[in-house]
Amino acid sequence: MGAAPQQISPDQRVADFRKTFSRAESEVARVIVGHRDVVRKLLTALFCGGHILIEGVPGLGKTLMVKAASETLGLSFKRIQFTPDLMPSDIIGTQVLTEADGHREFQFKPGPIFAHMVLGDEINRATPKTQSAVLEAMEEHQVTVFGTTYPLDPPYIVLATQNPIELEGTYPLPEAQMDRFIFKVVMGSPKPDELREILNRTTGTAQNKIQPLFEPARAPQAIENLKALVREVMVAEPLERYIISVIGGCTPGGPGAIPEVSQYLRFGPSPRGAQALILCAKVNALLAGRVSVSYDDIDDAIVPCLRHRLLLNFQAEAESVSAESILEQVIKRLKKPRT
Amino acid sequence: MLCAIAPAITAIALGLLLGPLGDLTWNRFGYSLTPDRANDLSLALFGAGLLVIAAGAVMAFRAYRRANNFLGAAAELDDRLQCNQEIVTFATLADPSAPESNRARRTPLFPILWRRAIAMFGGLNLRDEFKLEVGEPLRRSSIFAGVVALAMVLATLGLVRAPTPESMEAAKLRGIAEEIARSATSTDDTVLADKIRQAADALENSKLPPEEKKKRIEDAMRQANHAAEKRNNNESGKNQAAGKSSAQSGKGNGKSQGQGNSSGSGTGEGKSGTSAGQNVGGNNPGPGKGGSGNNSGKNDGGKGTAKNDQNKGNQSNVELQNELAKAEAQVETANAKNPGPDSKPGDDKNQGGASKSGDKSNEAGSQPDPNKPGDLPKPGANGDRNTPSAGGNPKNNRDMGSNMGDTHLGEFPTSTNAQRFLKPGEKGTAVDIKDARYVMFRLPGAPTTGNGGKTVLDTNRPTATTAYVNAPLAPTSDDAPPDERQLVPPRYRDMIH
Repeated sequence: MGAAPQQISPDQRVADFRKTFSRAESEVARVIVGHRDVVRKLLTALFCGGHILIEGVPGLGKTLMVKAASETLGLSFKRIQFTPDLMPSDIIGTQVLTEADGHREFQFKPGPIFAHMVLGDEINRATPKTQSAVLEAMEEHQVTVFGTTYPLDPPYIVLATQNPIELEGTYPLPEAQMDRFIFKVVMGSPKPDELREILNRTTGTAQNKIQPLFEPARAPQAIENLKALVREVMVAEPLERYIISVIGGCTPGGPGAIPEVSQYLRFGPSPRGAQALILCAKVNALLAGRVSVSYDDIDDAIVPCLRHRLLLNFQAEAESVSAESILEQVIKRLKKPRT
Repeated sequence: MLCAIAPAITAIALGLLLGPLGDLTWNRFGYSLTPDRANDLSLALFGAGLLVIAAGAVMAFRAYRRANNFLGAAAELDDRLQCNQEIVTFATLADPSAPESNRARRTPLFPILWRRAIAMFGGLNLRDEFKLEVGEPLRRSSIFAGVVALAMVLATLGLVRAPTPESMEAAKLRGIAEEIARSATSTDDTVLADKIRQAADALENSKLPPEEKKKRIEDAMRQANHAAEKRNNNESGKNQAAGKSSAQSGKGNGKSQGQGNSSGSGTGEGKSGTSAGQNVGGNNPGPGKGGSGNNSGKNDGGKGTAKNDQNKGNQSNVELQNELAKAEAQVETANAKNPGPDSKPGDDKNQGGASKSGDKSNEAGSQPDPNKPGDLPKPGANGDRNTPSAGGNPKNNRDMGSNMGDTHLGEFPTSTNAQRFLKPGEKGTAVDIKDARYVMFRLPGAPTTGNGGKTVLDTNRPTATTAYVNAPLAPTSDDAPPDERQLVPPRYRDMIH
């Protein structure tokens, strides 16, 4: 695992991907009880090269999950607790005056954003100014401080969490920033069985040690190779047209938009939504052992990829219409092109 | 295409069967579908059938094109084998007709896709996957066929009407016209059939004025007479020829007797150069004119056949004449019921008329009020076949020797014919009414009164000059309908010889 893609056969690469993904899921599951779907989406986002927004109440193990994933994959991990007084320099780093060999100079001290996996806890508590400091890092995989650009080492993934309660004094993420997350997953409360398992694991003496899949030195390259494999998965033209029709169908006034979309949405998904759909569908295809995307792969990706890209209008909020319900309607009504 | 078969067949079959179905409805339930509506319905059904066939053809063409389409065939296979669009993707990237850019989209993973697609094709059994399934499409399309049939039934139920007397008569006339057209041997018959149809159409057409309707009916009558005369002439020529040959053969033997195998039987005595067929019914021996004395051919087979044909023609002609007369009477009746805006009181032509024709032919018709002046009853209004023929014109006597009774249809007495009976003291050929079933009279008007209520005697009234007895003209039977038992008042009996 982790060898250059040219040296191993395509079949071996596909097999490696599935094995890696499966093992990563298993390793994370050693410390995280339940939430298999969230874990899968987290790993999918990593292999797609995107970022993920996790919404859930405190205490569900969001931080632990991200930490376990980074440990499993052998990637570096940093955590930022967003607060209202958090400054951008606290995240991206700043110039520090240092003295060496008799002369003083400013030296860049990287912030916590310089890691493979960055957990932005309660991102909606920071001011928009601070939130926007993360934008460049998320999209460009680089930060600029005092005119100097510093690249972020691949793989790079931001996992942001936000609390749906205690919204007083929070700054909801702007649409532009929301669009940069490939997925938004919602973490629910654990089921009774899962809760019992959580209690057993965390209040006893047993220690669940995670076995890293890659050595920290080789891990970034290995992950990058797997990311490259994802992009090699093929998509037939009819399926591309289907993805385009999904985006059009979710856009008010767009081609094939259903009445609910025009009634309840202010804006639809951007082209980033289509990119997210394809990438997620490709990962789904690989996980199914295929090298080409199917309609099921796309349908499976629609809700997590597009739910945070739909901007509901006042009527939708007044009538408690959710983006998920609109997307379900779109999936039901859209016709899948045959050729 | 299979889906279109059942609805198309149903629609077209219903369109074809609409006529017989209409006849069945007419015969069994007494409801009729007017020809125009039946025609429209039939056209609609044919149109629906053609539409379904066209839709089926379009679907078949699209299926054919899809089958010939590389990607379409791949999609079909993908669906059948449930390959999660792997075959479609493979076909997209391997389509020989696709631009080069498509092949450039192949990735290093393409060999895997290729192998998987080939493996899937290996498990494909074309015979099993692409079986010709007839039952399912037919079952599905039978729902649509049922809808078509139901729509037809509902449309028919909505369009059928209880027939008016005119439409009933028109239907009968159309039936006769169809029969004539079917067995037409000359253009006269065809013209006659057309005329009858026109008369039937006119009879049903409420927009036509009664005069026009009568005109068309009379046209048909004239054409019927013309055709019948022509037929008779032809037949008499044949009979003359037969008589001649029979006479000649008889000369040699003194007596010649033969039997024919014809289903009809006729008896006649041949006279050279004279037709013996006239006035001879199929089953009734008809008296021929005297033979030459030496030769008498009895029951000539060929002659019998000819006579039968002729009698058949005569019967149908009589029937036709009857129906046309009824039709005319109905026009008059309808006209009398709905007088035009110019009609005046006292113009009622039915006053003093005979009983009206109708479904109840045995019911007595309205009798003339002897105290009211009125026109002579018109024949045909009561199926009055024994109305004496127009005065002394034997050429116009249409008595064809039918067993349906004598008829004078076709030569209706006009109002002037009321004078055909001889007045007292008048000389001329008497009208033979011995076998008449009933006789109709025009009674003289009531005594007129002058101004001031002074009674004025009608001294010019006819008076009897011959003795008479107060006895019926002919023995009456008790079971005869009342209208056939009316007696002639004694004071007028001397007018009848």
